[in-house]
Amino acid sequence: MIGASISRWTMSYFAMAVGWLLAAQAIMVAGFGFPAADIASPDTLVLVHVVSIGWLSTAMCGGLFQFVPVLTAKPLFAEKWALPALGLLTAGLTTLLAGFLALGGRLPDGLWLLPAGAFLLVAGFGLIIVDLGLTSWLRPTGPTRFILVGLASLCATVTFGTVFAVALVSCSGSTCATMLDAGVPLHAIAGVGGWLTLTAMGVSYRLLSMFMLSPDVDDRTSGTTLLAGALATAVAVAGGIIAVALSSGMNVILSIAAALGLATIALYGRDVIAIFRARRRRQLELNIRMAALSFVSLGGTALLGVMLVLTGNFAAHVGAFVYLVVFGWLSGLVLAKLYKIVAFLTWLETYGPVMGRSPTPRVQDLVAEERASKWFVTYHAAVWVGMLMLLADQPSAFRATAMAMAIGTIGIVREVVRTRRLADVADPLRLPGGAREPHLLFARN
Amino acid sequence: MAEYIDVDVRPLLRAGAEPFSLIMAALDRLEPGQGLRLFATFKPIPLFGVMADRGFEHSEVALDGGEWKVLFTPGRITPAESPVGAPAFDNWPEPVVKLDSRDLDPPEPMVRILAAAEKLGPGETLSALLRREPVFLFPQLEKRGFRWLGGFAPDGSTYELTVRAPS
Repeated sequence: MIGASISRWTMSYFAMAVGWLLAAQAIMVAGFGFPAADIASPDTLVLVHVVSIGWLSTAMCGGLFQFVPVLTAKPLFAEKWALPALGLLTAGLTTLLAGFLALGGRLPDGLWLLPAGAFLLVAGFGLIIVDLGLTSWLRPTGPTRFILVGLASLCATVTFGTVFAVALVSCSGSTCATMLDAGVPLHAIAGVGGWLTLTAMGVSYRLLSMFMLSPDVDDRTSGTTLLAGALATAVAVAGGIIAVALSSGMNVILSIAAALGLATIALYGRDVIAIFRARRRRQLELNIRMAALSFVSLGGTALLGVMLVLTGNFAAHVGAFVYLVVFGWLSGLVLAKLYKIVAFLTWLETYGPVMGRSPTPRVQDLVAEERASKWFVTYHAAVWVGMLMLLADQPSAFRATAMAMAIGTIGIVREVVRTRRLADVADPLRLPGGAREPHLLFARN
Repeated sequence: MAEYIDVDVRPLLRAGAEPFSLIMAALDRLEPGQGLRLFATFKPIPLFGVMADRGFEHSEVALDGGEWKVLFTPGRITPAESPVGAPAFDNWPEPVVKLDSRDLDPPEPMVRILAAAEKLGPGETLSALLRREPVFLFPQLEKRGFRWLGGFAPDGSTYELTVRAPS
């Protein structure tokens, strides 16, 4: 079949991802891990992986299972792999977290859980990378190329992580410790930069131009942005490995990668501004306005990074920097898009079969933007103030902002659940002519 | 043994373009008894029905990298005997409805096209102009027994779609 059907398990991925996000916020409110504990402590590793794998990667993969077939106009290489992959990711992450707790002495004799969790994650991500990679390869143009580079970076991230997990169990010498210390930034750059950021950028090109009725960004233009981003990741990963092997310092490599990273953000900013300028739609939907706040955070990230480096404070405040990248830019964008994607997919699933035969509501009838907007604003404000509290070394005030962020998130999630339940659609239109209410956690495609 | 003319649409597909018109043009140039050897980046299942309507049977071979070679051989199928009994695409009547959905917010084009399609008489067609390939519309058309034909205009910014009601 040519075209794209509704991805059966995207909602399940979103639900699982949101669960992990709320767990991460609970961890921060409880004062577990950074900033109360050291940024490299096992407790912080728990928090970091709940956010990066549980929340962001799971949400991203769920979105891609729907989005890649839309971009390629071809079915997934193996739709059947999506659910087992989710199971493997969830089991792998849970095992890995238990391993980190053991590493910190919170669980007895459980270090073996680290490689066990890593291998489960390799299996889960492996299925996803092969499935999405082979499907994307059918039409490697525009956003799809970002996704391919993102998936390659995910491979690198997972490989680093697995090597660390095995090393933590099998070797305890000082060489190993040095290698781990040097390798962790590479693992983080490949994951947050190459995988999550480049993929989010690629997806955003199409979603923004689609919802604002703008022409697509020319492939050559977005290709320059992608090239800068891919180079930044490649320089950090390949150069970093060489630097570790030669036992030389990492500063030169990381400086080149940082300059390329800045160039990527600048070029992406240029592309996004062009999409906004060329739009034929004046009235912007909430998801676009809220995505704009995440772009502000991305710009803020660049500015903060430069300021911290120039004042010699980057190492001391790397936590605040990463916090803004992860919660301001990535999570902000994912939440905004999730809000729209759930509404669209729910509308398509419920009303597609009866469309043209019975009157059906519009997608916008499934959402109450005014009500949702206050939760989004709460979320972003909490993130920005939280970042300032981290810079000011105020862990208690930071926990209060984490609470505010959690309240914003719960408000957004409540709106999304209402959308899925068609709770805001007035009754004669709600289920016309034999339309069926969708299931909350998966699609009957 | 039939003689085959090669048509390689892989570069077009990789560039994201619609290969249908190229294939149809090649088909029109075939001498009687000649077949078509098609190279594509995916198994072109929708084409099998179209070619069967024109009296070609197919045999496909998977190549490396997910690509396919398909041989369309003339003669052994009587034309116009496809399962739905629909005639070939070049016999489609002039559209009775013409929609320009280029400036509508998504997914409004899909709503309008399905609404208009449901009002078509048997065998009638509608045409629509869109900004994007309506990937979510195709499964709905297929489920309802409609046939469709679409592709981007040479400027790449307008997608031209023709939909035909079941006869």
